Amino acid sequence: MRSFFGKNCILPVSLAMTLVLSSCSYASSGGRIGEFADPSVQEDYGDAAASSVPEVSSAVDFDHELDSYVPQKDHYNFYFTYKIVHPWWDAVALGMEDAQRQYLDRGVKITYEYMAPDSASAEDQTMRLREAGGRDFDVIGVDVADEAVISPVLDEMIDSGIKVMTFSSSDAAPGCKRIAYVGNTHNYEDGADLTESLCKKLEYKGKVAILVGSVGAPCHEDRARGAKDTIAKYPDMEIVAVEYDNDSVDIAYDLTMKILEDNPDLDGIICCNMSNPVGAARAVTQKGSSTVIVGMDHDREALHYLKDGVIYCLGVQDCYSIGFDTIQTAVKIADGNKPGELFEEKTDESTTVIYQEDAAIMLELLYGDD
Amino acid sequence: MKKQITKKTLILTGIIGGIVLMGMIIVNAVISSRQTTMATNEAVHEVSSFYLEAMADRRSKTITNLINSNFDHMEKAVTYVNDQGIYSEDELRDTIGSIKYLLSLDRFALVDDDNIVHTQYTTYTGGSRHSFLSDGNMDQRSVSTVLLYGSTKQLCLAAPTPNLRIGGKRYKASFVQIDIKEIIDLLAFDDDGRTYFGIYSKNGENLTGTELGPYISTHNLFNVIGNVVPEDTLNENKDHFLNAVKGSITFTANGAESTLSYVPIDGTEWMMVVLIHDSVIQERIRNISEESLLYSKRQITFILIVSVIFFLVLFLMMRVIFNKNLEEEKKNTKNFRNMANTDSLTGVRNKHAYSDAENVLNRRISEKEIEKLAVVVCDINGLKIVNDTQGHAAGDKLIKDACSLICEHFTHGAVYRIGGDEFVVILQDKGFDTMKDVLTEINCAVEENITKKEVVVSIGYSTLTPEDQMLHDVFERADQMMYKRKKELKQMGAPTRA
Repeated sequence: MRSFFGKNCILPVSLAMTLVLSSCSYASSGGRIGEFADPSVQEDYGDAAASSVPEVSSAVDFDHELDSYVPQKDHYNFYFTYKIVHPWWDAVALGMEDAQRQYLDRGVKITYEYMAPDSASAEDQTMRLREAGGRDFDVIGVDVADEAVISPVLDEMIDSGIKVMTFSSSDAAPGCKRIAYVGNTHNYEDGADLTESLCKKLEYKGKVAILVGSVGAPCHEDRARGAKDTIAKYPDMEIVAVEYDNDSVDIAYDLTMKILEDNPDLDGIICCNMSNPVGAARAVTQKGSSTVIVGMDHDREALHYLKDGVIYCLGVQDCYSIGFDTIQTAVKIADGNKPGELFEEKTDESTTVIYQEDAAIMLELLYGDD
Repeated sequence: MKKQITKKTLILTGIIGGIVLMGMIIVNAVISSRQTTMATNEAVHEVSSFYLEAMADRRSKTITNLINSNFDHMEKAVTYVNDQGIYSEDELRDTIGSIKYLLSLDRFALVDDDNIVHTQYTTYTGGSRHSFLSDGNMDQRSVSTVLLYGSTKQLCLAAPTPNLRIGGKRYKASFVQIDIKEIIDLLAFDDDGRTYFGIYSKNGENLTGTELGPYISTHNLFNVIGNVVPEDTLNENKDHFLNAVKGSITFTANGAESTLSYVPIDGTEWMMVVLIHDSVIQERIRNISEESLLYSKRQITFILIVSVIFFLVLFLMMRVIFNKNLEEEKKNTKNFRNMANTDSLTGVRNKHAYSDAENVLNRRISEKEIEKLAVVVCDINGLKIVNDTQGHAAGDKLIKDACSLICEHFTHGAVYRIGGDEFVVILQDKGFDTMKDVLTEINCAVEENITKKEVVVSIGYSTLTPEDQMLHDVFERADQMMYKRKKELKQMGAPTRA
């Protein structure tokens, strides 16, 4: 009997403990970040690190089903605009299309426009919003390019009876009247967490540079702020440069080359958007530098750099879920619902930090790469 | 001088000949079997490549036809859209929706000059999502693979639409995206899992997610094949993929030999790859070979059995013949022996036979084995006179008459002619017991013959006495008695020598 209990109880008990520890770890990070798979970080996270592979596999959830909410109309027409034409938002679009197909299967037709400029611009976004406001959309959604510029525009639209929501990477400024936000609610923490990983890797000393995306873009600015605050905690660490690439890989590359020329002894680069780590990795590779790069998102090239060890870690956001939940929330808003039981005022979507050993899984998951 | 073939030589020749013959049949069968197996293995490789290339080519053409068919439908769809006189986005969406039913183009879309994509349900900026839009001119058809984040891989067919204007806005392209799973369904057929196929990109990446056998599975072809083929072979085939050249690779993995064949798919940058385990073809050919081999084995067994039966029958027949010859030989030997012991004129035993009998009897006498033994000596009277006066024929007749006379009376004795006119009769047992009566009868007959002028025989006899050492002792006494009788008969008028 003892042997029976020994064999049959140890495994379930271990699994249960692992799950409890995993939940505690997730909860303690405010639901903003997934598990670390980096062996050097495993010491700090104990048993939770053992479940890194399943965590990485579920970093992006492609398996969604609509909830039980019954739409009041059989046709909805939405308008969404986002910062810039970029693969990151193409990934969000796939989640939106999945939701649209599922509604169609239930007899509800969803049509929408999903538009962006070729380069991020708060002015362009304002123009698009005003133009869309003049048309008869059920809901208008926006990924805020610059919270200071866009938030007042959104307030005006709300005041004029237009149903407005924010989505994907950047919410409006606090106090904005927009109805709801679906997306990353923890950009500051993501920036801080990535920087913390970098600091630990550098043993809390050295020179670092910060690459940011678009000036005023809340998500980018929040991450940069999280990074700066984290660096400030460590007296032996110094920020030698902060540059904006305007969501362009080429600009990120040029900026990194210049930073490396100006600071040959640069120890690390913190990248706050999707284009930053690709441009930085290209430059570091070009220079033959050993500078440690941490960055955001799931760009295919960036994942290959991660696989090759050029990038140290990446924070991968669940774009598919962002897109899917955005459509679901938009339908509920269109029906006149307010945040509460049906949907939250801020629907949080997860970010998972992945390391070199997770890159192959992520490449296969997202791009089918072998 | 010819050497005579003996029975032993003949049998030995037959056995050796039979063994050699059977050995040749068996060796020939084994060599044929091995040659067949080797030829089969060589054929398997050739058949594998040929079969796979044909299969890959057929599937490749199916995709090419699908692409061409879709391009034709897209052209018709654009004409249809142009003819509708559309002015609003809603009308455009409805029209694209109707195309779905009219032309079976599920994911048909149009792209305007601002790179905005118009589909049945959505309108979106597609610059980063569709690689063909990076070609600013968009002046020719393009086929590309969509490998978008988390999405199923799709084949994107795009065609320029130089004359398309909707609501006063110019549209530069139309495109459809075909789910690769649909292509796989189109290509799949049930062959009981004998073959595997997949569509691969130029760098060996599996686009279809279909397993190319258990070893390669869905992995990058070259990453896996690189472990089991030489680097030269790997590089050569990589070049083929990059330059859209068909080819094949044979490799051994996990103890199984496999052949894969690849054919470029026209109009795309894809390779259709088909794989088969050689064991499948080998098994098929082996089954045929084994059936053939079984038939050969049966033939050989039948020949062997027939040969064995043939040699057995031959052996038995030879044995019968040899036994017959042996019997004849024995008979001849006996005849020869009889001839040696028989007097040719009278047919009774001759001097040689008498000598043999004398030797036997001498031994028995010396060993005191005989009690009753008598020797009768008979001599023909007047033989020389007859020979001299009437010729030898008359003399021979006289001898024969004398012999007949003696044999007629001494029916229980052994009669020997030991000289020209001299006979000896050896009497034992019953002949000995009746000797006196017989002597009386024959002497009476002889005396009557004197009167009749017929053959006269002088007869003396003697019996074995305990003192006799040899037969000759008995003979001597009988011979002396015979001479006495000869004189008596002379006195009775019997013919004598002059």
